[in-house]
Amino acid sequence: MSTILVDNLTGKTSAGSITVTSEGGAATQSLQQGLAKAWVNFNGTGTIAARDSLNVSGLVDDATSDYTVNLSNAMANSNFAIVDSSCYDSDVGGASATGVTESLPASTTSYALHSGRSTSGSEFDNQYVYGTIFGDLA
Amino acid sequence: MQTPDFKGTHLFDRLCWAKERLEPVQSDFRIVYEDSVDECAKILVPDPNWMACALQGGILPPVWVYHELAKDEAQPDFKKHTRGYLLHTTEPMPALTEEQAIEYLIMKDCPQHVWKEWNTGNKPKMVICRKEQLPSTREWRNAWKITEDLTATDIAA
Repeated sequence: MSTILVDNLTGKTSAGSITVTSEGGAATQSLQQGLAKAWVNFNGTGTIAARDSLNVSGLVDDATSDYTVNLSNAMANSNFAIVDSSCYDSDVGGASATGVTESLPASTTSYALHSGRSTSGSEFDNQYVYGTIFGDLA
Repeated sequence: MQTPDFKGTHLFDRLCWAKERLEPVQSDFRIVYEDSVDECAKILVPDPNWMACALQGGILPPVWVYHELAKDEAQPDFKKHTRGYLLHTTEPMPALTEEQAIEYLIMKDCPQHVWKEWNTGNKPKMVICRKEQLPSTREWRNAWKITEDLTATDIAA
Protein backbone atom coordinates (compact mmCIF):
# COMPACT_ATOMS: atom_id res chain seq x y z
CA MET A 1 0.00 0.00 0.00
CA SER A 2 1.27 3.50 -0.85
CA THR A 3 0.61 6.70 1.03
CA ILE A 4 0.41 10.06 -0.74
CA LEU A 5 1.58 12.96 1.39
CA VAL A 6 0.72 16.29 -0.19
CA ASP A 7 -0.64 19.66 0.85
CA ASN A 8 -2.45 20.44 -2.38
CA LEU A 9 -4.23 18.51 -5.11
CA THR A 10 -4.50 20.42 -8.38
CA GLY A 11 -5.75 19.12 -11.70
CA LYS A 12 -3.10 18.94 -14.44
CA THR A 13 -5.35 19.63 -17.44
CA SER A 14 -7.77 21.84 -15.54
CA ALA A 15 -6.67 23.08 -12.13
CA GLY A 16 -10.13 22.86 -10.59
CA SER A 17 -10.99 19.40 -11.84
CA ILE A 18 -9.58 16.14 -10.52
CA THR A 19 -11.20 12.95 -11.68
CA VAL A 20 -11.43 9.79 -9.63
CA THR A 21 -11.95 6.49 -11.40
CA SER A 22 -15.14 4.90 -10.21
CA GLU A 23 -15.85 1.33 -9.14
CA GLY A 24 -15.05 -1.06 -11.94
CA GLY A 25 -13.06 1.61 -13.75
CA ALA A 26 -15.80 2.28 -16.27
CA ALA A 27 -16.40 5.92 -15.44
CA THR A 28 -14.72 8.83 -13.72
CA GLN A 29 -16.07 11.18 -11.10
CA SER A 30 -15.11 14.75 -10.30
CA LEU A 31 -13.53 14.97 -6.87
CA GLN A 32 -14.52 18.64 -6.45
CA GLN A 33 -18.18 17.99 -7.20
CA GLY A 34 -18.33 15.38 -4.46
CA LEU A 35 -17.13 17.67 -1.68
CA ALA A 36 -19.55 19.49 0.64
CA LYS A 37 -19.11 23.26 0.33
CA ALA A 38 -20.88 24.14 3.59
CA TRP A 39 -22.49 22.35 6.51
CA VAL A 40 -24.11 23.20 9.80
CA ASN A 41 -25.51 21.41 12.84
CA PHE A 42 -27.73 23.59 15.02
CA ASN A 43 -30.28 23.54 17.80
CA GLY A 44 -33.57 24.83 16.40
CA THR A 45 -35.24 25.17 19.80
CA GLY A 46 -35.06 27.96 22.38
CA THR A 47 -32.62 30.64 21.29
CA ILE A 48 -31.28 28.83 18.25
CA ALA A 49 -27.53 28.30 18.06
CA ALA A 50 -25.05 26.47 15.85
CA ARG A 51 -23.17 23.56 17.42
CA ASP A 52 -20.65 23.45 14.61
CA SER A 53 -20.38 24.45 10.99
CA LEU A 54 -18.21 25.24 8.00
CA ASN A 55 -18.66 28.21 5.66
CA VAL A 56 -21.64 29.59 7.60
CA SER A 57 -21.78 33.21 8.77
CA GLY A 58 -25.01 33.08 10.72
CA LEU A 59 -28.42 31.54 11.23
CA VAL A 60 -31.74 33.35 11.14
CA ASP A 61 -34.63 32.21 13.28
CA ASP A 62 -37.42 33.25 10.90
CA ALA A 63 -40.41 31.76 12.72
CA THR A 64 -41.53 28.47 14.21
CA SER A 65 -39.55 25.76 12.42
CA ASP A 66 -38.35 28.22 9.76
CA TYR A 67 -34.67 29.10 9.56
CA THR A 68 -32.24 30.69 7.11
CA VAL A 69 -28.61 29.62 6.79
CA ASN A 70 -26.25 32.36 5.57
CA LEU A 71 -22.96 31.47 3.87
CA SER A 72 -19.55 33.12 4.09
CA ASN A 73 -18.22 31.98 0.71
CA ALA A 74 -20.98 32.56 -1.85
CA MET A 75 -21.95 29.81 -4.24
CA ALA A 76 -21.48 30.41 -7.98
CA ASN A 77 -25.24 30.35 -8.57
CA SER A 78 -28.38 29.56 -6.63
CA ASN A 79 -28.81 26.13 -8.19
CA PHE A 80 -26.82 24.37 -5.49
CA ALA A 81 -28.12 21.21 -3.82
CA ILE A 82 -29.05 21.04 -0.16
CA VAL A 83 -29.10 17.88 1.91
CA ASP A 84 -30.74 18.33 5.27
CA SER A 85 -32.47 16.51 8.07
CA SER A 86 -33.66 17.16 11.59
CA CYS A 87 -34.72 15.27 14.65
CA TYR A 88 -35.97 15.74 18.17
CA ASP A 89 -34.78 13.86 21.21
CA SER A 90 -37.92 11.85 21.91
CA ASP A 91 -36.70 11.06 25.41
CA VAL A 92 -36.90 14.76 26.22
CA GLY A 93 -39.96 15.98 24.39
CA GLY A 94 -41.73 12.86 23.31
CA ALA A 95 -42.96 14.83 20.33
CA SER A 96 -41.25 13.31 17.34
CA ALA A 97 -38.32 10.99 17.10
CA THR A 98 -37.43 12.26 13.65
CA GLY A 99 -38.31 15.37 11.74
CA VAL A 100 -38.95 16.13 8.12
CA THR A 101 -37.04 19.02 6.59
CA GLU A 102 -37.52 21.05 3.44
CA SER A 103 -35.11 23.59 2.06
CA LEU A 104 -34.66 25.97 -0.85
CA PRO A 105 -31.82 28.22 -2.00
CA ALA A 106 -32.79 31.85 -1.45
CA SER A 107 -29.71 33.39 -3.08
CA THR A 108 -26.09 32.47 -3.69
CA THR A 109 -25.32 33.25 -0.03
CA SER A 110 -28.30 31.81 1.80
CA TYR A 111 -30.93 29.12 1.87
CA ALA A 112 -34.17 28.64 3.74
CA LEU A 113 -34.82 25.57 5.82
CA HIS A 114 -38.09 24.32 7.28
CA SER A 115 -38.36 21.52 9.83
CA GLY A 116 -41.40 19.67 11.04
CA ARG A 117 -42.79 16.55 12.67
CA SER A 118 -42.25 13.28 10.87
CA THR A 119 -45.64 12.01 11.95
CA SER A 120 -47.80 14.85 10.64
CA GLY A 121 -45.42 17.16 8.79
CA SER A 122 -46.67 20.04 10.92
CA GLU A 123 -44.41 22.89 11.97
CA PHE A 124 -42.09 21.97 14.78
CA ASP A 125 -38.80 23.28 16.15
CA ASN A 126 -36.38 20.38 16.18
CA GLN A 127 -33.45 20.08 18.55
CA TYR A 128 -31.08 18.77 15.93
CA VAL A 129 -31.15 20.38 12.50
CA TYR A 130 -28.49 19.55 9.90
CA GLY A 131 -27.78 21.15 6.55
CA THR A 132 -25.15 20.39 3.90
CA ILE A 133 -24.55 22.05 0.54
CA PHE A 134 -23.10 20.67 -2.67
CA GLY A 135 -22.42 22.76 -5.74
CA ASP A 136 -19.91 25.22 -7.17
CA LEU A 137 -18.30 27.91 -5.05
CA ALA A 138 -18.11 31.46 -6.39
CA MET B 1 -1.94 32.99 16.70
CA GLN B 2 -0.82 34.97 13.68
CA THR B 3 -3.02 34.81 10.59
CA PRO B 4 -0.97 34.04 7.46
CA ASP B 5 -0.95 36.62 4.67
CA PHE B 6 -4.12 35.44 2.99
CA LYS B 7 -4.51 38.05 0.27
CA GLY B 8 -5.23 36.13 -2.93
CA THR B 9 -6.02 32.91 -1.07
CA HIS B 10 -9.46 31.47 -1.83
CA LEU B 11 -11.91 32.43 0.92
CA PHE B 12 -12.96 28.80 1.37
CA ASP B 13 -9.33 27.86 2.07
CA ARG B 14 -9.11 30.65 4.64
CA LEU B 15 -12.28 29.39 6.33
CA CYS B 16 -10.85 25.86 6.41
CA TRP B 17 -7.63 27.20 7.95
CA ALA B 18 -9.65 28.97 10.63
CA LYS B 19 -11.87 25.96 11.27
CA GLU B 20 -8.83 23.85 12.02
CA ARG B 21 -7.07 26.32 14.27
CA LEU B 22 -9.47 28.79 15.92
CA GLU B 23 -11.70 28.15 18.91
CA PRO B 24 -15.35 28.92 18.06
CA VAL B 25 -16.76 31.98 19.83
CA GLN B 26 -20.43 31.83 20.92
CA SER B 27 -21.60 35.44 20.91
CA ASP B 28 -24.31 36.58 23.32
CA PHE B 29 -25.45 39.21 20.83
CA ARG B 30 -28.58 38.68 18.77
CA ILE B 31 -30.02 40.90 16.05
CA VAL B 32 -33.81 41.10 16.07
CA TYR B 33 -35.35 42.62 12.96
CA GLU B 34 -38.64 42.94 11.13
CA ASP B 35 -38.32 42.31 7.43
CA SER B 36 -42.00 42.90 6.74
CA VAL B 37 -44.88 44.30 8.78
CA ASP B 38 -46.88 41.19 7.99
CA GLU B 39 -44.31 38.78 9.39
CA CYS B 40 -43.04 38.06 12.86
CA ALA B 41 -39.65 39.32 14.03
CA LYS B 42 -36.59 37.41 12.82
CA ILE B 43 -33.51 36.77 14.90
CA LEU B 44 -30.04 36.67 13.38
CA VAL B 45 -27.55 34.54 15.31
CA PRO B 46 -23.82 34.84 14.55
CA ASP B 47 -22.11 31.55 13.75
CA PRO B 48 -19.39 30.70 16.33
CA ASN B 49 -16.78 29.77 13.70
CA TRP B 50 -17.54 32.91 11.72
CA MET B 51 -17.23 35.03 14.87
CA ALA B 52 -13.82 33.47 15.55
CA CYS B 53 -12.74 34.51 12.03
CA ALA B 54 -14.00 38.06 12.54
CA LEU B 55 -12.17 38.45 15.86
CA GLN B 56 -8.99 36.89 14.47
CA GLY B 57 -8.75 39.18 11.44
CA GLY B 58 -7.15 38.60 8.06
CA ILE B 59 -9.75 36.03 6.97
CA LEU B 60 -13.09 37.61 6.02
CA PRO B 61 -13.47 39.91 2.99
CA PRO B 62 -14.83 43.45 3.45
CA VAL B 63 -18.62 43.57 3.53
CA TRP B 64 -18.82 45.67 0.37
CA VAL B 65 -17.70 42.60 -1.57
CA TYR B 66 -20.96 40.85 -0.64
CA HIS B 67 -22.91 43.93 -1.69
CA GLU B 68 -21.19 43.91 -5.09
CA LEU B 69 -22.04 40.24 -5.57
CA ALA B 70 -25.64 40.93 -4.51
CA LYS B 71 -25.83 43.68 -7.15
CA ASP B 72 -24.67 41.22 -9.80
CA GLU B 73 -27.17 38.66 -8.61
CA ALA B 74 -30.02 41.16 -8.82
CA GLN B 75 -29.48 41.59 -12.57
CA PRO B 76 -32.28 39.95 -14.57
CA ASP B 77 -29.84 38.09 -16.79
CA PHE B 78 -27.78 36.74 -13.87
CA LYS B 79 -26.72 33.15 -14.39
CA LYS B 80 -23.61 32.73 -12.25
CA HIS B 81 -21.10 34.90 -10.45
CA THR B 82 -18.28 36.16 -12.63
CA ARG B 83 -16.78 38.39 -9.95
CA GLY B 84 -16.34 35.76 -7.24
CA TYR B 85 -12.66 36.67 -7.27
CA LEU B 86 -13.60 39.71 -5.16
CA LEU B 87 -14.12 37.34 -2.23
CA HIS B 88 -10.64 35.91 -2.63
CA THR B 89 -8.41 38.73 -3.86
CA THR B 90 -9.67 41.70 -1.86
CA GLU B 91 -7.57 42.59 1.18
CA PRO B 92 -9.20 40.77 4.13
CA MET B 93 -10.65 42.67 7.08
CA PRO B 94 -8.39 43.30 10.08
CA ALA B 95 -9.34 41.92 13.50
CA LEU B 96 -12.71 43.25 14.65
CA THR B 97 -14.17 43.68 18.11
CA GLU B 98 -17.31 41.66 18.81
CA GLU B 99 -19.42 44.80 18.40
CA GLN B 100 -17.80 45.61 15.04
CA ALA B 101 -18.32 42.01 13.94
CA ILE B 102 -22.04 42.31 14.74
CA GLU B 103 -22.24 45.51 12.65
CA TYR B 104 -20.49 43.71 9.79
CA LEU B 105 -22.87 40.76 10.08
CA ILE B 106 -25.91 43.05 10.02
CA MET B 107 -24.69 44.65 6.80
CA LYS B 108 -23.94 41.24 5.32
CA ASP B 109 -26.94 39.16 6.35
CA CYS B 110 -29.84 41.52 7.12
CA PRO B 111 -31.83 42.95 4.22
CA GLN B 112 -30.48 46.38 3.26
CA HIS B 113 -33.88 48.04 3.61
CA VAL B 114 -33.86 46.99 7.26
CA TRP B 115 -30.45 48.19 8.36
CA LYS B 116 -30.34 51.29 6.19
CA GLU B 117 -33.71 52.52 7.46
CA TRP B 118 -33.86 50.78 10.82
CA ASN B 119 -35.16 53.86 12.62
CA THR B 120 -37.22 55.74 10.04
CA GLY B 121 -40.63 54.22 10.80
CA ASN B 122 -43.00 54.47 13.74
CA LYS B 123 -40.80 52.08 15.68
CA PRO B 124 -37.33 50.55 15.18
CA LYS B 125 -37.16 47.76 12.62
CA MET B 126 -34.03 46.34 14.16
CA VAL B 127 -32.63 45.91 17.66
CA ILE B 128 -29.35 44.42 18.86
CA CYS B 129 -29.83 42.65 22.17
CA ARG B 130 -28.30 39.97 24.34
CA LYS B 131 -29.51 36.40 24.27
CA GLU B 132 -30.96 36.70 27.78
CA GLN B 133 -33.23 39.53 26.64
CA LEU B 134 -35.14 37.27 24.27
CA PRO B 135 -38.11 35.21 25.49
CA SER B 136 -36.84 32.05 27.15
CA THR B 137 -39.41 29.83 25.45
CA ARG B 138 -40.71 29.86 21.88
CA GLU B 139 -44.33 30.19 22.92
CA TRP B 140 -46.25 32.26 20.36
CA ARG B 141 -43.06 32.45 18.29
CA ASN B 142 -44.95 33.39 15.13
CA ALA B 143 -46.36 36.47 16.86
CA TRP B 144 -43.10 37.90 18.15
CA LYS B 145 -42.65 41.59 17.28
CA ILE B 146 -40.26 44.31 18.35
CA THR B 147 -42.04 46.20 21.10
CA GLU B 148 -43.39 49.66 20.32
CA ASP B 149 -42.40 50.78 23.80
CA LEU B 150 -38.68 51.02 23.06
CA THR B 151 -37.32 54.40 24.09
CA ALA B 152 -34.28 56.18 22.70
CA THR B 153 -32.46 55.20 25.90
CA ASP B 154 -33.30 51.54 25.36
CA ILE B 155 -31.98 51.74 21.81
CA ALA B 156 -28.83 53.58 22.82
CA ALA B 157 -28.24 51.08 25.59
